[in-house]
Amino acid sequence: MVLDVHRLVPLTWACMARQTPHLGEKRRTTASLLRKLTTASNGGVTEELSCVRSNNYVQEPECRRNLVQCLLEKQGTPVEQRSLELERVITSLLDMGFSNAHINELLSVRRGASPQQFLDIISEFILLGLNPEPVCVVLKKSPQLLKLPIMQMRKRSSYLRKLGLEEGKLKRVLYCCPEIFTMRQQDINDTVRLLKEKCLFTVQQVTKILHSCPSVLREDLGQLEYKFQYAYFRMGIKHPDIVKSEYLQYSLTKIKQRHIYLERLGRYQTPDKKGQTQIPNPLLKDILRVSEAEFLARTACTSVEEFEVFKKLLAREEEESESSTSDDKRASLDEDDDDEDDDEAEDNDEDEDDDEEEQL
Amino acid sequence: MAALTLRGVRELLKRVNFATVPRRHRYKKKWAATEPKFPAVRLALQNFDMTYSVQFGDLWPSIRVSLLSEQKYGALVNNFAAWDHVSAKLEQLSAKDFVNEAISHWELQSEGGQSAAPSPASWACSPNLRCFTFDRGDISRFPPARPGSLGVMDYYLMDAASLLPVLALGLQPGDIVLDLCAAPGGKTLALLQTGCCRNLAANDLSTSRIARLQKILHSYVPEEIRDGNQVRVTSWDGRKWGELEGDTYDRVLVDVPCTTDRHSLHEEENNIFKRSRKKERQILPVLQVQLLAAGLLATKPGGHVVYSTCSLSHLQNEYVVQGAIELLANQYSIQVQVEDLTHFRRLFMDTFCFFSSCQVGELVIPNLMANFGPMYFCKMRRLT
Repeated sequence: MVLDVHRLVPLTWACMARQTPHLGEKRRTTASLLRKLTTASNGGVTEELSCVRSNNYVQEPECRRNLVQCLLEKQGTPVEQRSLELERVITSLLDMGFSNAHINELLSVRRGASPQQFLDIISEFILLGLNPEPVCVVLKKSPQLLKLPIMQMRKRSSYLRKLGLEEGKLKRVLYCCPEIFTMRQQDINDTVRLLKEKCLFTVQQVTKILHSCPSVLREDLGQLEYKFQYAYFRMGIKHPDIVKSEYLQYSLTKIKQRHIYLERLGRYQTPDKKGQTQIPNPLLKDILRVSEAEFLARTACTSVEEFEVFKKLLAREEEESESSTSDDKRASLDEDDDDEDDDEAEDNDEDEDDDEEEQL
Repeated sequence: MAALTLRGVRELLKRVNFATVPRRHRYKKKWAATEPKFPAVRLALQNFDMTYSVQFGDLWPSIRVSLLSEQKYGALVNNFAAWDHVSAKLEQLSAKDFVNEAISHWELQSEGGQSAAPSPASWACSPNLRCFTFDRGDISRFPPARPGSLGVMDYYLMDAASLLPVLALGLQPGDIVLDLCAAPGGKTLALLQTGCCRNLAANDLSTSRIARLQKILHSYVPEEIRDGNQVRVTSWDGRKWGELEGDTYDRVLVDVPCTTDRHSLHEEENNIFKRSRKKERQILPVLQVQLLAAGLLATKPGGHVVYSTCSLSHLQNEYVVQGAIELLANQYSIQVQVEDLTHFRRLFMDTFCFFSSCQVGELVIPNLMANFGPMYFCKMRRLT
């Protein structure tokens, strides 16, 4: 028995070494793995496993074996069905730094995935710099990732590394958009190209956008472009601010609702050619990032019910300007209308600035 | 940023209007090959920002967003049609007759023995007016009016606030009434709906707009009333009425030409804020004083006048009322007294938003919850 476990440890190690051809990175990650191997207990040993006494699993295979047995028990697998494979899996996971709780969770979503597949996928995430906790969260939420062919997984990983999406950045993307691993490469390419070539973001800005607003990967390209143009032309926001404010993550509906509301209130102005406005515009974060209650209280300064009505009116306006039928179905209106006198000459004045506007 | 694609940007910029102009509003092309660089609707908005931010302070943003958004309508029931059926139909849409609601409110109050209510004469509303609106915050629209079984239209869609000057005028049966600036005819129609007009004179300087008034009368009022002596339609200069028909009328409505604030923010065509009409716009208050003075001169001593505009501006509202009263006192030695409409205002507070700081008269201000108005009105009595 003791012999088995001794064999297991280097076997696992060797497996990992083979799977990662990039030596340079491997050194870093394997170094950290090594660290993890020796301090695996820091991954959170639960009180139930009272058999664990020492911190160093490698040195005490007996303890580790017990731990493995405990976990297997937790899985509810009867003694007869416990295969060596499963033990290997659990051991490897422990090596990678997963806690017992994590391992339980992971095993519960394993479903039909083969042990090798299971480990390969998980280790790929670890190699991308994700910590064990996020890996658990992601896989629990999107277990379909475990079904990915490992080659595709690796190809995608290297692509994501190229895009600068690793570690913490990748974590955020994965939480929001796990399809980043399953979607077509072409689709990611298209989005990246749109941001670079049509919207003219720099490479770093594109990375920042992808990790702060991962939902752009899901968005229709036309919509995404329109959203950008709305910020740039309609609101007068420049590239750095679009990126910094994480503008692209918000829905166009929300953006338009809040922006047009402020504009009609007189609290937001599109900057002129020289980039100037007559009033200081509110900061983008005070428009989009805040909750609706705070937006209304501090930025718009109106009641909640007024905004509710406004949203309905705006939705109707948008609907009607999109549909081709623009008949005004209302009957005659009691408004002082302008004279329908066709003899009046057309206004020829082309002045842009009229400083002499008098009050009336 | 030349490389930035302009595909779609033009489309985007077309939607960038500094006041929204929904496509459903008609756009009449004239000879202009291009759109004006600095449109009149934008000049109007600039003017309002300058003036009204001072006049209304913190209230202005809420008014502004309401003016720039779709307005709310009321459906004035046509009493010459099967009005009970029409009322029932409108009730089914979940609309309510705000006039009826206001009056039953008052009746409840007076029954409660509240002695604060002044004597009936000063606040009695013109009778028989039924006008339906949707609840506060409800943005439903009325279906377009249709002819009924009696051959006339069932209801007339108008800004519900426009009914208030007619209600405030307090018509009584048998009154001889003058509508001095009647076109396009909504308030004229309302005056006829009261059933109180022994004679109604409707006048407007503009012949083309008077034609619209005629059309409305044709669609809503039966022939026998139109063709008799009861209604007279003219197209003369309203300022002359003092000489033409002095001391003649029991009730006079002077709904003067003004900067039509809401309209000026949406309709580019012939907008009073365009530069070629600047002079005309600047002397508007003078014209308005002259018209109100003429209306007062045409009133019998003891008769009543209501002055109204659809502008928010002090200069076209209170200043004109005060100017006309002064003019009549100084030039004609005629005493005119402003009548307090506080009680009247309270009746309609649930439906409309009123501005609380008018020196004289009442002002309905637009608000997204009740997007009616602007409508200013002031009631006066000619004492001598």
